[in-house]
Amino acid sequence: MERFNNAVSKLFVVIMAIITLFPFIYMLLASLMTFQEATSIPPKLFPAHPQFKNYAEALEEAPFVQYFINTIFVSVVSTFGTLVTSILSAFALVKLNFKGKNMLLLGMAALLMVPYEVTVFTNFQTIAQLGLINTYTALIIPSLASIFYTFYLKEFLSSIPISYYKAAKVDGCSDLEFITRILIPLSKPALFTMSILSFISGWNSFLWPILVTNEPEMRLLSNGLTSFATESGSNVHLQMAASTLSVVPILILYLIFRKQIIRGVVRSGIKG
Amino acid sequence: MISIANLRKVYEDNGYEALKSIDLNIKEGDLVCLLGPSGCGKTTILNLLAGLLDPTSGDIKFDNVSVVNKHPKDRNIGLVFQNYALYPHMTVMENVMFPLTVGNKKTKKSKAKEIAQKYMKITNITELADKKPGNMSGGQQQRVAITRALVQNPKVLLLDEPLSNLDARLRLKIREEIRRLVKEIGITTIFVTHDQEEALSISDKIVIMDQGIVQQYDIPQNLYLEPANLFVAKFMGNPIINIFEMKKEEDYLKGSDFSIKLDKLDKTRVKDDFNKSKYIVGIRPEYFKLTTPSLFNAEIETVELIGKDRIVNFTINGEHSKAITDINDKVKENEIVGFDIEYDKIYIFEEDGRRVY
Repeated sequence: MERFNNAVSKLFVVIMAIITLFPFIYMLLASLMTFQEATSIPPKLFPAHPQFKNYAEALEEAPFVQYFINTIFVSVVSTFGTLVTSILSAFALVKLNFKGKNMLLLGMAALLMVPYEVTVFTNFQTIAQLGLINTYTALIIPSLASIFYTFYLKEFLSSIPISYYKAAKVDGCSDLEFITRILIPLSKPALFTMSILSFISGWNSFLWPILVTNEPEMRLLSNGLTSFATESGSNVHLQMAASTLSVVPILILYLIFRKQIIRGVVRSGIKG
Repeated sequence: MISIANLRKVYEDNGYEALKSIDLNIKEGDLVCLLGPSGCGKTTILNLLAGLLDPTSGDIKFDNVSVVNKHPKDRNIGLVFQNYALYPHMTVMENVMFPLTVGNKKTKKSKAKEIAQKYMKITNITELADKKPGNMSGGQQQRVAITRALVQNPKVLLLDEPLSNLDARLRLKIREEIRRLVKEIGITTIFVTHDQEEALSISDKIVIMDQGIVQQYDIPQNLYLEPANLFVAKFMGNPIINIFEMKKEEDYLKGSDFSIKLDKLDKTRVKDDFNKSKYIVGIRPEYFKLTTPSLFNAEIETVELIGKDRIVNFTINGEHSKAITDINDKVKENEIVGFDIEYDKIYIFEEDGRRVY
């Protein structure tokens, strides 16, 4: 009976893995097909001769290099911004006592419940009124601070004994020195996980960039890809090549840092 | 050196009055213990001295200069925490150097290292310089924490239950080391503990605290021999003092099994007239004597052997009582023996705890 259960659960895992992985693998395979192979009916699974030139063609058809630069720039800057704001605010929430702290925490927790899509329109209005449409500033500003990461870091900082802070105070350490010399080195694992998660979500962000940019040179990878899909019409094989290009960097990042990512997701229970 | 006047502390978040009114004067170079049960306010005093808390009212002066409005770093103090608070990502050397490399007292790295090495030599941790705190024993961490506290050459060293995380044997060793060290440097030291044996063994003077009030501030032996009140008498000594409630009737303090004749008391020790109707008599276990003729007879319930002494348990005047007898007194369980008391060594308190004899 136990062996049967075991077999069933393994079978289940295998099926789920196939369902999850198939689109991804098919994307890889299709990106190496010719146009005929990619559109033939019944569909083919393997290309007869891998067409690596598809990648070169895709890169020529749309400014993917520009998209890459944009995406990396926006993700890196917003990740860095998130780190700075989260560290400062989490420090204040954990180690300092000030009036209205509990109310503030309550308010922040309440904001966590508001779905992103609800705030998108007000954010868009703000950015539009400021005349920032089609700028990097518009792409970056809304993701410079995150309540989610602040709370995530706050939990981590709570586990650092308050006596470190007191000892540093007596030693003559200023708050900023305490943060840079002690808090940041001690919370490296949490900051690391945060950076990776934030970078990935920056990389994958779609709705916001598509709202605040409409010129091709400001596009990020994700919406560059969708517009490429419409502009290139039926060139499925080139679309697949472009998709692969946009996924591979983040995939590599994931493979390198999978331990930290899994730990981060398990710790927080949800992904931001 | 340190003078504390009318110090009061009420915690704002929960309204708890940790200190009611504290007055203390501590001489330069003294090693003073703050001793008391948990919640008595001893750590609050330490935090107020360090400047980690602000007093509700009252004043603290170091060398006749008020420090109440001074930032901790400007008070010229060294502080050692119960959990040592050594930064785990730094080596011992970096930990010891840390106070010299931050804030407005920043010194050059080479100079800081030199000073750190000097103090590490004094505390005997030179060979630990490159270790991280996580790889060291509790005793070693303790020494590093003290070194870090001393490296700024403070005038006052504050230690918050520094031995409570160590095992019993190490505790004995480290407490001797602490005393030797602070006496060698000549620094005024305040030491918080709840362990009376620890306090008695290392202090020049002890402050016994309870319920936010100083119960007695005295040299160690006086706390034991001349307790100021019932609380101190009960707190000091192990096994604890035997307490009997007795009624005053004419020339006697009467109990159900034995009574104390007031004539037998040492007149020089009487501090006040016996004009109340009820008194509390405290007799330390070592001042019950096995004798015949006896003041009272009691049946021995249990006998414990502790080193060279025997502790015998019995019930008298309705109270479970203990007496310490010599190992050579062959007292057995269920035996009925006669006891007397040493009248010049007992204490008599009024009901509110005030000592009258």
